[in-house]
Amino acid sequence: MKILIANRGEIAVRVIRACRELGLPTVAVYSDCDRTARHVREAHEAFHLGPNEAARSYLNIEAILDVARRSGTEAVHPGYGFLAENAAFARACRDAGLTFIGPSPEVIATMGSKTGARAVAIRAGVPVVPGTEQPFEPAASDDEIGRAAGAIGYPLVVKAVAGGGGKGMRVVEEPGDLLAAIRTARSEAGAAFGDASVYLERRLIRPRHIEIQLLGDRFGTIVPFVERECSIQRRHQKVVEESPSMSVSPALRQRIAAAAASVARTVGYTNAGTIEFLLDEDGSFYFLEMNTRLQVEHPVTEMVTGLDLVHWQIRIARGERLDIDPVRALTPLGHALECRIYAEDPDQGFMPAPGLIRALRPASGPGIRDDGGVDAGFEVPVYYDSMIAKLIAWGGSRPEAIARMSRALEEYQVLGIRTTIPFFAWLMRQPAYRDGQYDTTWLDRLMAERRGESFNELDAADTRLVTIAAAIAACLNARAAVPAPVAGDGLSESLWQRAARLEALR
Amino acid sequence: MTFEIDVDGSVRSVTVEPGAPSRFVVVVDGEAHEVQAERAGEFGLSLVVGDVSNASRELQVAPGATRGELLVSLGGRTVPVVVNGRTRRGGATDDGGRAGQQAVVAPMPGRVVRVLVAPGDTVAARQGVVVVEAMKMENELRSPKSGTVKEVAVAPGTSVEAGRVLVVIE
Repeated sequence: MKILIANRGEIAVRVIRACRELGLPTVAVYSDCDRTARHVREAHEAFHLGPNEAARSYLNIEAILDVARRSGTEAVHPGYGFLAENAAFARACRDAGLTFIGPSPEVIATMGSKTGARAVAIRAGVPVVPGTEQPFEPAASDDEIGRAAGAIGYPLVVKAVAGGGGKGMRVVEEPGDLLAAIRTARSEAGAAFGDASVYLERRLIRPRHIEIQLLGDRFGTIVPFVERECSIQRRHQKVVEESPSMSVSPALRQRIAAAAASVARTVGYTNAGTIEFLLDEDGSFYFLEMNTRLQVEHPVTEMVTGLDLVHWQIRIARGERLDIDPVRALTPLGHALECRIYAEDPDQGFMPAPGLIRALRPASGPGIRDDGGVDAGFEVPVYYDSMIAKLIAWGGSRPEAIARMSRALEEYQVLGIRTTIPFFAWLMRQPAYRDGQYDTTWLDRLMAERRGESFNELDAADTRLVTIAAAIAACLNARAAVPAPVAGDGLSESLWQRAARLEALR
Repeated sequence: MTFEIDVDGSVRSVTVEPGAPSRFVVVVDGEAHEVQAERAGEFGLSLVVGDVSNASRELQVAPGATRGELLVSLGGRTVPVVVNGRTRRGGATDDGGRAGQQAVVAPMPGRVVRVLVAPGDTVAARQGVVVVEAMKMENELRSPKSGTVKEVAVAPGTSVEAGRVLVVIE
C-alpha cells in the first residue's frame, strides 16, 4: 500500500517512519520553501505541491489528489492540522478511490462541529459542560444572547463551533463583557475557520484537561487508552502533555475510558481519535470535544503502553482487526512527558522566531525520544506552525521522567534560532509542576507573575564562563583573521570556517 | 589582546593571553583564569577551566542575527554576546540618532491585528503595544522601554514587512 502523507514537519516524518517500519512506500508533498525539508528527503517519492502559502499547497485538495493520481498512491495519511479534520478532503479521497487513514467524512463532519459533538455525547449518556446546544444565529439579538448566557451562568466561555487551538475562544467573567467577547470570537473564528458561528459553555473554575486516546476498527471494536494529562496550557494551547495523570485514579480511569468509548461507539468511530474532557476538582468530568485525527501528543501514550498508534492507524485503514489487549491499553507502565519545542522566543512573549538552523543536536540517551521535523541547514519558514520537534521523556516514575526531561533539555542544542527549550527547563523546575499541583489556568497565572526575567538568565559563574568563551573565540578569530585585509571586522559567520582552513594548512 | 565583551547587556573588559597551543590565560574582573580551549564541531567550544578544579564546560558560539552579534549557548540557554561594543539587536534599537527614542519593529512579515496604544500614552517596559498576526499566530509586540508613545505608524489591517517601524516610544 503506497501512502501519501498530506503534511509536513515532524508529523510527516513520524508517519514516514511508521510506513518504513511496515515496509510501505511513501509519497511526500512539499511547498516551494520545503524542497529540502526533512520529510521530503526521508520519503521514497516527493512531489511539489505549490507555493508557500498553505492555502495553495498543504491545504490544496486538488493539488494533493493530483499528486496521488500521478504517484499511484493508494492511501492518504493527513497527519494533524492542515486537512486532517477536513471532511471535504476525506470525502474527496474516498471519491478518488483512495483510502483515507482516519474516520469517515461523515464522522469528521459530525464531530468537527462542537455543538454536533456535544449532541453525540449527550446521546451516549456522557455529561457535557453546561452550555447552549445550538450556535447563535448571526442575527441573534443581544437580548437573546444575554438570556442564554444568564441561564448558563458566569464565568463562561465563548467558543467557535469550528474551533480549535484556542482560536475563536473568549472567557467572559461578567455580563458586561459578553457582547464584545462574542464579536471578537466571531471575527477570529471567521478568519481562522471560515465559519463565524459561536456558542457558550460554562467555565469550570480550575479544571484539568484530561483526554482519552482511542482506536476503533471497521468491525466495531473500540479500544480506549490510558488518559493523557494536558493541563499545562499557555493561552489555551497545550505546551506539556503527560501520561498518566496524577489526578486520575485507576477507578476514575475506568469511568472516563468507558465514557470515551461510549461516545466513539455512538458515532461509529473508526481509526485513531481522542476525546477531551474537563475534570473538575470534585472528580466529575465533562465531555469537551473530539479530535478526529492523530494528536500531537500521541507519543506519550505510545511510551507508557508500548503500542504504536501510527502502525495501528495504517493497519485499521487496510481492514485489519484491532486485537490489542484492552487491559494493556489502559495500564500505564511508568510515566511519560512531552515538551513541544517551537521556534519561538520565550523572552519576547513567545514570538515566532523563524530562521536558519545552523546546528542541531537533539537529546538522546535512556528514556528519551525526539520526534523531530527539521535538520541543521533548514530555514524554519514563516508560513506554517513553528514547532520544530517534540521531546518525549519516559521514566519508571513521574519524578524520573521529569529528571530525564530536564537532562535532555540541557543536552538539546539548536543554534541559529530561538526556541522554547529554556522555557521548558524553567517549567520543569517549578515546585507546583513537580508536585502535580496545577490546572489549565496555572501556567498563565504563573507567567503573569513573572516580571520580565529572562528564561535564559545566567548566574554569575555562567556569565563569567560565557565571557571567557567569547574572549577566546575573539582571540582565535583575530589570529585566523591576520591575512584578512579588513581590520576590525569583528567576529563573523566565517569564524570557524576560517579557523578550520588555517587548521588544515598546518 | 583586550576585548570589550557585552554578555546580555553587561559589559566587561577582558584580556586574553595565548600560551601554549590551546591554552589561554583570561583575565576577567581582575581575576586570571587558566583555560584549555578546543573547538568541538562547527560551533562548539570545549573549555576546561584550570583554576576551577578542571571544570569542563561545552559552549556553542554561533553567529547571531545581526553582524557582530554572537549567540552563545550553554546548558540549554542562549544569550546574545557582542565583542567590542557593536550595537546589540539591530532594528529595535535603531533610533535614528535621537537618544532616548526606540522603535518597535515588525520582526517578520505579517498583518497588524490590533494597536494597543495611542500617541501620548504612557507605557511600561515590556507592555504590549501592537498585535501582529504572523505564522498563523497573534503575537503581541512589546515596548522595549518605559516611556511615552511618540508615534503609531500603522493601523489594524496594515500588512507589514520585516523591519517596518510600527510604534515609536520616547
